[in-house]
Amino acid sequence: MEDAKSGRSISRRGFLKGLGGGAIGTAVITTGLVNSDAAAAYSPEAVGTGRGKSTISLKVNGKSYRVEVEHRNTLAEVLRDQLGLTGTKIGCDRGECGACTVMIDGRNFYSCSQLAVWMQGKEILTIEGLAKGDKLDPLQEAFIEHDGPQCGFCTSGQIMSGKALLLKNSQPTEAQARRALSGNLCRCGNYNREVAAVLAAATKAG
Amino acid sequence: MAQAQNEFSVVGKRIPRIDAYERVTGQAQYTGDIQLPGMFYARVLRSPHPHATIVSIDTSKAEKLPGVKAVIHHGNAKIPWSSGGHTHPRFIFNNPVRFVGDPVAAVAATDRHIAEEALGLIDVRYEKIPHVLDPNEALKPDAPKISTDGNLSVGKGNFSAPIEESWGDLEQGFKEADRVFEDTYITKHTNNAQLERRVSVAKWDAGKLTVFASTQGVSNARTDIAKDFALPLSKVRVVSKYMGGGFGNKNQAQDYDYMAVVLAKATSQPVKLEFTREDDYIGMHGRWASEQKYKIGVKKDGTITAVQLDAVTNIGAYRKQSGNLSGTDFYQIPNFRKVIKPVHTNTVVGANYRAPAYPQSVFGFASFLDQIAYELGINPVDMFMRNRIQKYKSKLPFSSNYLEECIIEGSKRIGWNEKWHKPGATGDVKKHGIGMALGGYTFRPGLGEATNRLNPDGTAHVLVGVTDIGTGAKSTMAIIAAEALGIPLNQIQLTNGDTDVTPYSVGESGSRTTPFTGPAVIAAAEDVRRQVFALAAGQLKAKPEELDLRDGQVFAKSNPAQKLALGRVVSRAGEIIGRATTNRSFKDVEGKSFAAHFAEVEVDSWTGHVKITRYVAAHDSGTIINRLPAESQIKGGVVQGIGMAFTEELITDRVTATPINPNYRDAKVPTHLEAPEVEVIFIEHPDPYGPFGGKVVGEPPITPSVATIANAIFNATGKRIKELPITPDKILLARQV
Amino acid sequence: MKSFENIDARSVKEAVSLLQKFQQQKKVAAVVGGGSEYLQLMKDQVMTPDYVINLKTIPGLNAIREERGGFRIGALATLAEIEEHSVLREKLLILSDAAGEAASPQIRNAGTIAGNICQRPFCWYFRSSHFNCLRKGGQVCYTVTGDGRFHAILGGGASYIVHPSDTAPALVALGAQIKIAGPAGEKTMPLEKFFVLPSVDFKRENVLNPGEIVTEIYVPIPKPGSKGFYHKVRERLAWDHAIVSVATVVQSSGGVVREARVVLGGVAPIPWRAAGAEEFLRGKKLDEANAQKAGEIALEGAKPLKDNVYKIAMAKLLVQRGLLASV
Repeated sequence: MEDAKSGRSISRRGFLKGLGGGAIGTAVITTGLVNSDAAAAYSPEAVGTGRGKSTISLKVNGKSYRVEVEHRNTLAEVLRDQLGLTGTKIGCDRGECGACTVMIDGRNFYSCSQLAVWMQGKEILTIEGLAKGDKLDPLQEAFIEHDGPQCGFCTSGQIMSGKALLLKNSQPTEAQARRALSGNLCRCGNYNREVAAVLAAATKAG
Repeated sequence: MAQAQNEFSVVGKRIPRIDAYERVTGQAQYTGDIQLPGMFYARVLRSPHPHATIVSIDTSKAEKLPGVKAVIHHGNAKIPWSSGGHTHPRFIFNNPVRFVGDPVAAVAATDRHIAEEALGLIDVRYEKIPHVLDPNEALKPDAPKISTDGNLSVGKGNFSAPIEESWGDLEQGFKEADRVFEDTYITKHTNNAQLERRVSVAKWDAGKLTVFASTQGVSNARTDIAKDFALPLSKVRVVSKYMGGGFGNKNQAQDYDYMAVVLAKATSQPVKLEFTREDDYIGMHGRWASEQKYKIGVKKDGTITAVQLDAVTNIGAYRKQSGNLSGTDFYQIPNFRKVIKPVHTNTVVGANYRAPAYPQSVFGFASFLDQIAYELGINPVDMFMRNRIQKYKSKLPFSSNYLEECIIEGSKRIGWNEKWHKPGATGDVKKHGIGMALGGYTFRPGLGEATNRLNPDGTAHVLVGVTDIGTGAKSTMAIIAAEALGIPLNQIQLTNGDTDVTPYSVGESGSRTTPFTGPAVIAAAEDVRRQVFALAAGQLKAKPEELDLRDGQVFAKSNPAQKLALGRVVSRAGEIIGRATTNRSFKDVEGKSFAAHFAEVEVDSWTGHVKITRYVAAHDSGTIINRLPAESQIKGGVVQGIGMAFTEELITDRVTATPINPNYRDAKVPTHLEAPEVEVIFIEHPDPYGPFGGKVVGEPPITPSVATIANAIFNATGKRIKELPITPDKILLARQV
Repeated sequence: MKSFENIDARSVKEAVSLLQKFQQQKKVAAVVGGGSEYLQLMKDQVMTPDYVINLKTIPGLNAIREERGGFRIGALATLAEIEEHSVLREKLLILSDAAGEAASPQIRNAGTIAGNICQRPFCWYFRSSHFNCLRKGGQVCYTVTGDGRFHAILGGGASYIVHPSDTAPALVALGAQIKIAGPAGEKTMPLEKFFVLPSVDFKRENVLNPGEIVTEIYVPIPKPGSKGFYHKVRERLAWDHAIVSVATVVQSSGGVVREARVVLGGVAPIPWRAAGAEEFLRGKKLDEANAQKAGEIALEGAKPLKDNVYKIAMAKLLVQRGLLASV
């Protein structure tokens, strides 16, 4: 079997050669699953049949959209890829980090863990919907002033969780603010700043 | 360029980041947000085996799936990845595969779900080879060989092995000691775990390649791509405007950038290759694990006479970076020898993560010093003060060193003298303790470039190749430019991170942005000012060298009342362009930023849970260019240290060699509820080599944090924990219920 | 995720009949409440359904009603609703606390009580697409030779998962009942009978048969003189499962126990009632010595794996702490 040492001069230009090469030999195929007797997770027949598609109405930031989605599309995907609202980020796609946090009917949710088809009749609020024209939401202003974003990737989610908190509790304590944001990870470790920003926004608005 | 701090108009203030607006409104476009017409989505298939030869790859079923546009693998895409491995050649697809997660194929399709499904339809036949997971096992002569040269990772230059360094006379040093101690400390592989998963968008336009990369180094990424694809540099463009963190593992170009490039060529469309979070945990790299054996000789009063370090670091299947351990750098050691063996194993690669060689070895060394202090009956603050670094390798002075002041101010702030007690002295269920450690990071000047363009209305463009992974580098450069130019900050537009437009930058890692590019920004400003003064001299009836420019106004120093607006001067020439390349080097000094950290903890001895009740971080980073993000960097570094100290570890199943916790929940990155309030003290004295006297801020804060916490836990419980992470079960066992 | 079709159910009856229909057609169908956990299982390739039946569109399934002597909590009541319900918090002692300990705020807004009780294990082998473990139809429980640091010390074998729910131990300590709807109609049973030990069937965690759905939890109000305690030892204070947790509800008078219920989480494949400890405590003064003894009894017979020996000490101490806080 070829090791890494050979081949450097061969196919850098010709790397397209053999694209789509066929199978060799007849030995049993391993998918690489350990101890797997189970059938492969995906069988070609079940896929791409057009099943599991719908046209849905979505109300986002006060605006109505009609989009065709696959049932397996998450709200996060549809917001970002179909509606162009890329302010909502996907950090893990597993409901573990909070970068995708949006508000649905007044509460904060992981949009990567909600199917788009479940959103009919719901009011969705994303980071893009906070500012009123040129006027930023007090939370956004506070995040700027208190250095809320370092790399900025968790920022939309942190702000949306802050927004959900302040809509229910306009004068939170520090502990309440921390807890309300506790489903939002920040790997830059900027937690002190994010909480300070939420508290500052509360003071200003209240 | 020494300037008294109170003379600065912009430097040293608390200024919100210049792009904070884009980040809080969701307008900042990160690589994953980029949508190009006709773009395909790509995913990577990875080896499920730790060590195996690929016998065959059958992609026919995958290709037949509607929506699949191209499938590449080692058979049809043999592209070298030079920066991926420095001791034996590494390709984007390797055969044999050397760790669970080693890429085997990549698929481009019309949407990401189809790309994912296609992965499951690629039939790969493997022939398993014996594997090894433990570095000590890997060093044995009969261990399975991961590269043809064996498992001690021997390369050239920076990548030699073992890594050896010594000075003084070790034997004599141990003879002079009153007591000699030996012990071993162990740290684990932890992932950078930045929030933005890796993603790359590649696009060809008639032979010109553009890669939108989530990279910390657009210049070195471009160099990598041009080299490995044999393309002229002028035909490669790398763009990185916003990044969601990297912490050292997004520098240069990576294998998945190359895969996107190949797929884009194969399909004639732009291709966006996306990592899952699991891909990100295992497909790139994390901090190398280590086993550190120390032998330390000390006098009765605690003064170190000699240190010997023998260590093994686990750099995984490929040697991407040094595998070094440098935690002893912050301690004065007259006689020293270290021998470090970076070792290959069939595991996820260990490479750069914030201060790569430091937090793990500061944990080992500073824990051990703290332990020795206990054995000698010495208060740790005296032990650390006595042994703080004063001369680099016992020879060279530092360009600036205020570590002593850091220790004094930090210990005062936390109330060390009131709070310290003999370790384990409190008998309650909830035990309190206090601990400290010293750290910092390398600071040295180097090659940097900057370009300035003044517009006819007096506003300015500053172009630098830097990226901004969250350190606020863009803002730092803009502030330095504003200060150096004499133009208000809001009249400066900073353009960064695009190799077609911005000049060279070393790459935003190793805390090099401020010391490398900062001086270039200042020199480019001086270039522009010279041209401005030459133009304005006539009108102001003075010689160019008599002029000054402040707040966007030009005037003669002897007659400041007569001012000319900068725009009026520039419009006479149309536009003024200035540039500079700087490459200062130290003369007979070395450079470091220094830090002393202090923590107070409460340990619940029945559950093993530890709460940090206070944390003080005192830093000597020279002049602080912008206080607001600098403080945030310190706080953030401490939080990362908390994760490394308490919870984080990439766990590999012993039997199957498969990582079992490659996600946030199971690898346990710290949340809001783990973060204490971190009090930051900046000990500010300008360094003669830094831009406006500034040294480095980004990496120092993580380096002493783990040891600080571990030493506080020792003080609370009286039990020393020598293996990370310090999970509740370790504290319970230490308690010996 | 593999392609599937989502169907919004309008009634429990419809959901049940859909499940039956798809089973007859040999299609894989699953009901979904909040969906967070199920989506993750799909993304991990643990579950690959053809049909997902959305229960959120069934009106009234999330109602919380006080009736004589207890509360009827609809299956789709969210963890956030339970956490924030001031009357529940006051009258059901520990349930709101336990609900508030689950996962994170966003998950609690979506996650339902039934989903929390029925959630699949978070064992890292079970959730990994790299391991076809015993519970998924394979041959081996990987925790035995692999890393079982978070796994069972009681009730384990042949599988060593721990039940990941926070509300389940609290509900069992409160003596809750669970109502199930299915093709044969409705049935109610004590919640502690709902869970299945691996020694009985290692492929499932509860007794739900194909076509059956949880519709309601009934929780009686604790007797007067009752105090409760719920604590979860965890590595991270948010979004982390219990290493060990304890739910205690103790009815006492003058410091003497009349009736105690002690339920452990994080130690067994089911919420683990420490029946022996409960028996011991009856009629005893709840002091440090008895609390400690109760802790010892609760962990009698514990059989740790090589990596989770520490759980025994931790659990004993936690029981002790819980009991002393319940008097």
